[in-house]
Amino acid sequence: MSRRLGGRESETMPMVDAVYGAEPKAEWVAAAQARLRGTLASQIPQVFYDVLPRSPIGRVCVAASERGVIALDIGPGEQDFVARLERRTRAGVRRSAGHVGQAMRQVEEYLTGARTRFDLPIDLSWTSAFQRQVLQAALAIPRGQTRTYHQVARGIGRPTAARAVGQALGHNPLPIIIPCHRVLGADGSLHGYSGGKGLTTKAWLLRLEGAQPAALP
Amino acid sequence: MTQPSFEALVERHSGEIYAYLWRMLRDPDLASDCLQETFLRALKAFPRLQHRDHLRAWLYTIATHQARTLQRQDARHEARRSELSEELVDPRPSVGRQVMDRESVRRVLQAVQRLPQKQRQALILRRYQGLDYAEIASVLGGSSAAARTNVHLAQGKLKAWLLDDVQESRIPRRRGKS
Repeated sequence: MSRRLGGRESETMPMVDAVYGAEPKAEWVAAAQARLRGTLASQIPQVFYDVLPRSPIGRVCVAASERGVIALDIGPGEQDFVARLERRTRAGVRRSAGHVGQAMRQVEEYLTGARTRFDLPIDLSWTSAFQRQVLQAALAIPRGQTRTYHQVARGIGRPTAARAVGQALGHNPLPIIIPCHRVLGADGSLHGYSGGKGLTTKAWLLRLEGAQPAALP
Repeated sequence: MTQPSFEALVERHSGEIYAYLWRMLRDPDLASDCLQETFLRALKAFPRLQHRDHLRAWLYTIATHQARTLQRQDARHEARRSELSEELVDPRPSVGRQVMDRESVRRVLQAVQRLPQKQRQALILRRYQGLDYAEIASVLGGSSAAARTNVHLAQGKLKAWLLDDVQESRIPRRRGKS
């Protein structure tokens, strides 16, 4: 940074550089940074995730906070998943098999047919009140059965909100665990699915559960 | 463009912000206190931040403000600084840098502290933290031209003040080994 200028600066500025250009001792920096990490850890919520590289419906990423599972994505790359998590939660995101092990095991068992229901704490902190209501309603649909968007809307006391229900389910942060795939169009069509390979994945999940909607290919 | 998470920001900039605070405060403990406060404030403001393309300058702005607040509040400061100032220079000589005696170090510290606040800040940001004039302007307020002027004024004053020292007693260029 110090520039070689002619004349008198060559006498004086190097003195200033010798004092102010010196770096703080490495141990001071390390101690201050370690302290900072501690300070921030108590302020920034932490979320953890892990990746199941192979399953019958492709790669599955699962994330959990200290309170419960917060996200499940079918098919994304790890980096995309992490970027979305950071954007959504503004939390510190770290890969940790330990923290999401239980959830991951249950998802894997579910997809291979070894498990029929989830027994997991769910954390819906990053969803709106309306979306939480819709997701809770979806959670109550028994395995092997389906509902229409209208039925779910009526169920939460918002009979005209079928479209909003569809949107809330389309942004389900926990597909499979919260079975939004059990919600279909009024005509029995699969309508839509945002996870994995879309409708193919939705149909696969319904078939796994033995549901028999008219439109199942 | 994906936006950096707050953790990435901490990872990338906490070292240089610490160095900046240390240069401003000349006290490792106060610099550490100030670093905590700077990033806690940044964390609070981060979710509401609209423009994320000047994050480095934004952190320097908060740090500058915190250092000023701390300096004002902390009565220990003056005492601590003069007490510690003599051990604050890395004894290892680096290329092109002089090895200085304690008296010269003290004079440099005094001279820099004597500078008007903005000139001192501008000088440290430009010469030792490597910010360009536009960044300095965004940290300290004012224009790039004003930032440049402040740096030049600071250097001019330091030259004048320190030149007396040089003329009084030629500072040994390389003490120890040559």
